[in-house]
Amino acid sequence: MRWLRRFKEKALWEKRLNSELQFHLEQQREAYVAAGLSEAEARRRAAIDFGGLEPAKEECREARWEYQVDVLARDFRFALRGLLKDRRFSCIAILALALGIGASTAIFSVVDNALFEPFAYKDSHHLVTVHLRDQDQAEEWRGLFLYDEFQEFGKQKQLFESAVANLEDDVVYSAGQNSVLLAGNYVTPGTFEFYGVAPYLGRSLEPADYQADAPPVFVMRYRTWVQKFGADPSLLGKPFNLNGVSRTLVGIEAPRFAWGGVDLWMPRGPAEPKIIRSFDGKQYWGVVARIRPGVSLEQAASQLNVIAQRFSKIYPKDYPTHFSMEVESFERAVLPPEFRRALYMFSAAVGLLLLIGCANVANLLLARATTREKEFALRAALGATRFRIVRQLLVESFLLAFAGAILGIFLGWAGVGTIAAVIPEFTIASETVIQMNSSVLLFALVAGVCTVFLFGLFPALKVSRCSLEESLRDTGKGLSGTSTGKGLRNAVVVAEVALSVTLLFTASLFVRSFIALERVPLGLQTDHILTARLPLPRERYKTGPQVQSFFRPLLERLKSSPGVVYAAETSTRPPYGGIRSEVEVSGKAHPEKWFGLFQLCSEDYLRLLRIRVLEGREFTEAEVNDARHVAVINQTLQRRYFGAQDPIGQKIRLDELKDFPDAVGDPWFEVIGVVGDARNRGLEEPIDPEIWIPYTVTGSAMRGILVRTTNDPMSMMKNVAREIWAVDHSVAMAEPNTLDYFLELFTFAQPRFGLWIVGIFAGVGLLLVTIGVYSVMAYNTARRTHEFGLRMAMGAASSSVLKMVLRDGLRLLAMGILAGMLCSLALARIITSQLWGVSPYDPLTIGAVAGLLLLIGLAACWMPARRATRVDPMAALRYE
Amino acid sequence: MAQEKAEFLKGTLDMLILKVVAAGPIHGYAISQRIQQISKDFFQVPQGSLYPALHRLEERGWVEADWKETATGREAKFYKLTRNGRKQLESEMEHWERLSDAVALILRTAE
Repeated sequence: MRWLRRFKEKALWEKRLNSELQFHLEQQREAYVAAGLSEAEARRRAAIDFGGLEPAKEECREARWEYQVDVLARDFRFALRGLLKDRRFSCIAILALALGIGASTAIFSVVDNALFEPFAYKDSHHLVTVHLRDQDQAEEWRGLFLYDEFQEFGKQKQLFESAVANLEDDVVYSAGQNSVLLAGNYVTPGTFEFYGVAPYLGRSLEPADYQADAPPVFVMRYRTWVQKFGADPSLLGKPFNLNGVSRTLVGIEAPRFAWGGVDLWMPRGPAEPKIIRSFDGKQYWGVVARIRPGVSLEQAASQLNVIAQRFSKIYPKDYPTHFSMEVESFERAVLPPEFRRALYMFSAAVGLLLLIGCANVANLLLARATTREKEFALRAALGATRFRIVRQLLVESFLLAFAGAILGIFLGWAGVGTIAAVIPEFTIASETVIQMNSSVLLFALVAGVCTVFLFGLFPALKVSRCSLEESLRDTGKGLSGTSTGKGLRNAVVVAEVALSVTLLFTASLFVRSFIALERVPLGLQTDHILTARLPLPRERYKTGPQVQSFFRPLLERLKSSPGVVYAAETSTRPPYGGIRSEVEVSGKAHPEKWFGLFQLCSEDYLRLLRIRVLEGREFTEAEVNDARHVAVINQTLQRRYFGAQDPIGQKIRLDELKDFPDAVGDPWFEVIGVVGDARNRGLEEPIDPEIWIPYTVTGSAMRGILVRTTNDPMSMMKNVAREIWAVDHSVAMAEPNTLDYFLELFTFAQPRFGLWIVGIFAGVGLLLVTIGVYSVMAYNTARRTHEFGLRMAMGAASSSVLKMVLRDGLRLLAMGILAGMLCSLALARIITSQLWGVSPYDPLTIGAVAGLLLLIGLAACWMPARRATRVDPMAALRYE
Repeated sequence: MAQEKAEFLKGTLDMLILKVVAAGPIHGYAISQRIQQISKDFFQVPQGSLYPALHRLEERGWVEADWKETATGREAKFYKLTRNGRKQLESEMEHWERLSDAVALILRTAE
């Protein structure tokens, strides 16, 4: 700590320096006195010989390193004072820098996490999934395969290194009298080796677990363990009653292992298939394979086609007439392509944003430097070395860069948090962790800070380049700046405005599309409805009467409980509806196939959803209880298949029912009513023909309940669960929630997310463009101060100077807006798929955006323009 | 141009000071007298610029100082050469000799 002591001893050091010099003078004086001079003359001569005492002292001080620290501190104080004095400049520069750094970091982080590294799995870039496409409909037929098919795929060692499959199943975990429903996956041998992720606790499934005589075990997802089981490590090694089988929990998987997004994984042993609960007799497996390096996706697909041709003979019902196999990279399959495209677009735009932020800062610094050129020339003239001026500017730049970087890091951090919070479920892989990407942050910081230093030092370069006199005489006096610099600056403004127009336009289209979506008439009322799937234990609920023996008492109990208005059985969750089936109408011949969606429901279903009956009537309770073959149809079906004919009393056939495990031998139904159209394929798709029939006609198909309540549906959840367990304690609710919640999740969440991102983006863009226009206009006018002074001295009115500046700004704005419109139109095709109910060429939106930008741009020009008019002609011309 | 001259003098002054200090503990005034004496008034060393030079040398660790009593009983700061200072002096002298030899050679051959 010697240096600290030295610092403290500064006073002592000063005293010693003083006495050393005094000693010298004293000696000299004595020498002169000895030579015979008078006392006064000797003192005078000694002082003259010595020269300036104070400069000598100062030079001695400079020899010490403490002096450098002092000077630096002084520079800091001076820079801080300067920045505080020019508060508008400082705030704007810091904001521009922070926005550029923050926004680009946040969005790049999300893109990087979601797109480039979404999975923590071994070699995840080589993972592929397999789909079967219907070539006639040009859409996916199925993405799941029979176990035979999977085994055959796995044998193609020339294509795949290995392959695994999973079968999703509801798992009822029975603890005492209550049951909890968990999502489970049966997995094939080698699954955990395939993904290569070490477990968090315990062990993963091992080869021995898949043997026929192995004791039943399972492993759990980290999130489930934390959220549903309180992260209790003592659960490891304990048996759980799952679907009636006692299984031992042997491991908790790593936090980022979420294969299939389920709660637990069980080995698929030879004995397992019997207890799997999926309702159809056949089991369909999801297949993931690791493709060999060098094998293309197309090659793999064409070889799988050969296998599929063979299987289509064995399982003709599982294949469409014309089909092809498709092999897709895993990452692509998990992330919707539209979302991926949107993210790519954003990452490109965000790079531009960073660029613009930096350009703005550069312009601001240049503008400031111009007005300060004289200050630096004066300093140099007074003896400041170039090093001193550079250091002064470095300190100033450092302060700006530091403040901007800190604020930028904060904005980036907050932005990542916000985006991660509003990303809707199922948009990105559940394995993805959205967090700040440090290398991206570093890049943005370096770019921003370099800009500040580079352009912050600009005045020093100028000072050293031209001679002092020239600088003093001529700074900022040219009629305009260097022409190349000016062209570049103007180009930046035009580009900024264009980008901003494009962003704002996209954002406005998203808003309009969202509003259009929210205004779609559903045809049914989703408020105050609690809904849940009820997976019934397959072995005890196989036939219609068995299913009825569960629902009839349950619905009666629910209806009589306080707070419940209606309760109904349903096979799907509105506004997505029904089981797809081929439809026949008696006495109608038609060349093409007719399809419809049918819903297995109880008598209160239509009433509960407030679907209007237009003709005929609904089912009666007796009809449902007796499993009568009666049907209610929607208007679309009536219009499309009956035409002008009165459908009441006509017969309709639902062929799909013949293929159910609990088949309906003669699936003809008599139409007893027609109801108003309600959305049945979500909000965006057109309504399909729909048929409602009593749920009691078959024991197959997934079932669920709808309960309309008087108060908040979620508050009724416990009561509903109690009634369910009172009827059968081995049944648990799957995904219980309000219908509004699902509507939000599946319909509005994704567009709202898009809205958020684009909205933030457009906001940041607008702010930056305002800063950009302001800074360039400020720079341009600062350079022309002298010219304006001259003009005004020659008699120009201040209003004409104002007009001149505004006209300049307007020209740039107009060019930018025009370019932006062209960009928007070019982009329209790409964003069409993201829009609903609004044209990407919407003239109203374009007009509004252009108007808004013009207004904001002019406002940004206004300040420098006003300043130009306030130029005092005398002050501007004084140094002529 | 004025600055370059100052640079040149500063380097030369440093060497001269080191040379003088090498003779043993000596205070600032005596150094200035000695330099004037050796250089036979050829160098008009402003006495004021001697001290910054001394402080610079001290900061670099080539000389060190002690406060001692002079023969007349006054407190004065006495400088002496450190080991590093001696090395520095040797290298500077060598450098200087080479330089002056070179200059002399050039002047001779240019004739």
